[in-house]
Amino acid sequence: MRRGVLIYNLLFLAVVFNYRASAQTGDSTKLLNKVTVSALKKKNNFTAATPLQSLNSETLQQLNAPSVGDAARYFSGVQVKDYGGVGGLKTVSVRSLGAAHTGILYDGIPASDVQSGQIDLSRYSTTFVQSLDLQQAQLRQLLQPARAYSYGAVLAINTPVMYVNTFAGKQWRAGLKAGSFGLWQPYGGVQLPLARNMSVNISSEAVFSKGDYPFTIENGPDSEKSRRQNAGMRSLQGEINVAKLFDDSAVLQVKLFGYHSNRGLPGTVIFYNDRSVQHLWNKDLYFQTRYRRSLGKHTGFLTAGRYSNNYTRYTDPDYLNNQGGLDNRYTQREAYAATAIDHKIDDRITIAASSDVSYAWLSSNMPAFVQPTRWSFWNNMSLQFNGRLWQLTGSLLLSTVNDKTTTGTAAATINKLTPSITGNLRLGERSPFMMRLFYKHVFRMPTFNDLYYNMIGNTSLRPEYARQYNAGLVFSKQFSDALKHLTIGIDGYYNLVNDKIVAVPNKNLFSWTMLNLGRVDIKGMDVTAELSGQITGAVSWFSRIAYTYQRAIDITNPASVYYKNTIPYTPDHSGSGLFSLQYGRWSGGYSLLFSSTRYTIGENNPFNMLDGWGTQDAFLSWAKNMKAFRMQIKASIDNLLNKQYDVVRYFPMPGRSFKISLQLNNL
Amino acid sequence: MRKFRFLLPLVAIMAGMASCNKDDVAKEVPVVTTGVYVLSEGLFNNNNTTLTYYDLGTGTAVTDYYANVNGAGLGDTGNDLLLYGGKMYIVMNASSNVRVMDAVTAKSIKEIKFETPGGAKRLPRYVVAYKNKILVSAWDNSVAVIDTATLEIEKNIAVGANPEQMVVSGDKLFVTNSGGITPGHDSTISVVDLNTLTELRKITVGLNPNCITADSANNVYVGCTGDYAAVGPKLVKVNTLTNTVVKSADTAVGKIRYFDGKLYATGGYLGSAYIRALNTADFSAMGANFVTDGTQITMAYGLNVDDTSGDIWVTDAKDYVSSGEVFCFDKGGKKKFSFKVTPGLNPNTVAFIRK
Repeated sequence: MRRGVLIYNLLFLAVVFNYRASAQTGDSTKLLNKVTVSALKKKNNFTAATPLQSLNSETLQQLNAPSVGDAARYFSGVQVKDYGGVGGLKTVSVRSLGAAHTGILYDGIPASDVQSGQIDLSRYSTTFVQSLDLQQAQLRQLLQPARAYSYGAVLAINTPVMYVNTFAGKQWRAGLKAGSFGLWQPYGGVQLPLARNMSVNISSEAVFSKGDYPFTIENGPDSEKSRRQNAGMRSLQGEINVAKLFDDSAVLQVKLFGYHSNRGLPGTVIFYNDRSVQHLWNKDLYFQTRYRRSLGKHTGFLTAGRYSNNYTRYTDPDYLNNQGGLDNRYTQREAYAATAIDHKIDDRITIAASSDVSYAWLSSNMPAFVQPTRWSFWNNMSLQFNGRLWQLTGSLLLSTVNDKTTTGTAAATINKLTPSITGNLRLGERSPFMMRLFYKHVFRMPTFNDLYYNMIGNTSLRPEYARQYNAGLVFSKQFSDALKHLTIGIDGYYNLVNDKIVAVPNKNLFSWTMLNLGRVDIKGMDVTAELSGQITGAVSWFSRIAYTYQRAIDITNPASVYYKNTIPYTPDHSGSGLFSLQYGRWSGGYSLLFSSTRYTIGENNPFNMLDGWGTQDAFLSWAKNMKAFRMQIKASIDNLLNKQYDVVRYFPMPGRSFKISLQLNNL
Repeated sequence: MRKFRFLLPLVAIMAGMASCNKDDVAKEVPVVTTGVYVLSEGLFNNNNTTLTYYDLGTGTAVTDYYANVNGAGLGDTGNDLLLYGGKMYIVMNASSNVRVMDAVTAKSIKEIKFETPGGAKRLPRYVVAYKNKILVSAWDNSVAVIDTATLEIEKNIAVGANPEQMVVSGDKLFVTNSGGITPGHDSTISVVDLNTLTELRKITVGLNPNCITADSANNVYVGCTGDYAAVGPKLVKVNTLTNTVVKSADTAVGKIRYFDGKLYATGGYLGSAYIRALNTADFSAMGANFVTDGTQITMAYGLNVDDTSGDIWVTDAKDYVSSGEVFCFDKGGKKKFSFKVTPGLNPNTVAFIRK
């Protein structure tokens, strides 16, 4: 079977390349439009067929959100599992589907973690992010890698290299942030135009944090008032991008990205036991490239490739075994290639196809490790109809996954066709209202940890399926003066997760296993509003409000005590707000985040309930153009009221903290 | 600025929702008379070990008796409970201590910390008593000797790797050396002289020994778990006078207790919904299930015998992530009664209060 798909992929590539060759021999020089790049330049979320939320670099600055994981909390429909502090793991679950259903696109190319299925978003700093987009179901443009169609929702991280200003002259930026709990964060970036329509962009950032913030864990007279221990973190990341704009407006981007980190893992706060000696090292290196061009007036072509190497080392010197502790090392590698093409048949119909292949492998120093490898193929076909006021898109994705292991049995080959259909309708040429609907069926593969982890893994796992239904209404209008612009989006959704992969201690408490044990019924509503205006000539304001209501209940087994109980770590109500003002050189803002109560395990009783929480942040910044550069100074306070709370039980979050930053950049 | 007033109620609603707290649960403190204590270990890293007092007279269960009396929780992963000399000892594995309290009022007397001079945690597991001492196995390859008057650790006896359950037979202590969950495991039991408090010898029994019980005829029975893969579980009988293995069979047991000529066992590492009574000579089961009245147990996790009545008490861990239940059976395998230990998870030990 696998061979068949491989041949199909090769055929597909052959067809595409032939087409490209023949197009080039035609009058391709006439096609000097800048569609390729400028299409990425401006987004109007209002016209998106599926719910799209976006935070641009300006808004990210106002949110005091150091990492993408922190920023994602401001999106509606999103739950960030946050283990606290600068070095704490942060993963994103959209609409209660779980982190493994969220795709992460970094500059247009999917990032993946085949070992755990979830990507730690605390690793992605927001400093150089130009735009962070969360899109449900389907990306706006059809010309995408097929893998981008495979997710329940996509979080796209875009740096400046994805934008047209890549070629717009010399730019530079350097800064330093300093904050509570020993935080130092220097960064710098430069973009230079080169000869022959090329440009180079280099950026780097380091983070040093002690992370020893105070916390209180309630345990009656034995309550613990302490500081986080072993929470130190050092990281360095950097990337080099080279882009070339060809005469026919084709764009080639090449990126080399590296990330090193070295951190203590403070771990759960365990009553009467304050020992913490576990340590984690990460070394990530990847190379990715993306080439996009037009093949004739009506045809777009995209090809992308990526090679990544992720090394993880985890130590626990206290672990009581005969080797004097644990020292686990994993290396995960993936080679990935994608090809996509779209073609406008006429004014109303666009067709698109894409085909991706990935080969991933995991090795470890663990004894009896089965060294799993995985071939994955994604093939997607999409058809889009455009009316004057409406758009209808259907996609069909074929996913094929084949695993091999050196010893033992590997998981069975998976072949699945999953459809999606999206539609939107504006209620009139000048109407501020737009309706949208989508249905999407997705699945996630069991990860290597799910399948092959020593004693825990279960090779007979099936994929986890999710069906998503969404209906929404958007209102967007431009006014004048004080309220210049208002956009409100309301979406109701229903998700049904089948064969949910859960860890179950079915042997004894020390040897858990993974099972397809679960049906989850999720009903929810996302509300997002963006408002902005000009109070007087000099004072402008911006506000963003997001609210999520959801009921995510376990409907696996009517006989269990937690039938129809809320699934763990899913609040009924959560949301965020931001309000900022700008006056000349000054800008200031206030933001808040809140969550209602949650349960830590499936059985909902007061003992397993975790209090709701709310935090508030504020900032003030001042900027001035000097002779040779622009200077900005910003001061911020996080968690103004010093609220003590846990997102994950017994992983206390930081209380009030301060940060001051200085940034210099070109005029 | 009037236009922004509509924001105010919204912020108020948000603040209101964020401050929704759980209702305070009534903290009931019963008067302990005739009854049993049940220790529920909770889930690892959840600090939710609980103590239930079940009153045999009124048929009511109170959880968490310890927290209601002391205002604080026991901590993380309580593995074993012992009533001895008017005191209650609870061995807390992840919290790495032995909590000593009054056997009747459950008032905490002392937290005996289990840590090395360097601060590393020793992770204690099980407890037995012998002549005014209690002996606690700890995963750092030792058995701690604690004086019941001073409540200090007097000595640490070196044994095999990652010791688990222990049993006293005559003036000797038999310790299962499991080897933990690292590959290779251990295959021995240690024999400790209780007069000199030193290890006399090791006896090889089978891969990954975990549970042990003694009869009245100088034999101990050891349940070996195997390696969860190629090597299967075993039940091994050792004569304590000759220090030799007298019988070994591929019988899987989880918890095992000897009483009145029989071995009572839960099903072994794969877990089981049934209890068996085994012949001590050939380990043959006396019937497929000790329970004869059709009572359904989901996951038999702990087993204790009341040696005055001969009742068999079985704790049911259900699916390990929901509240457990305790069943009391008579000698004939008929259910006398059962009760829930909600919100306690994974009940593992029943202790009988004798006044």
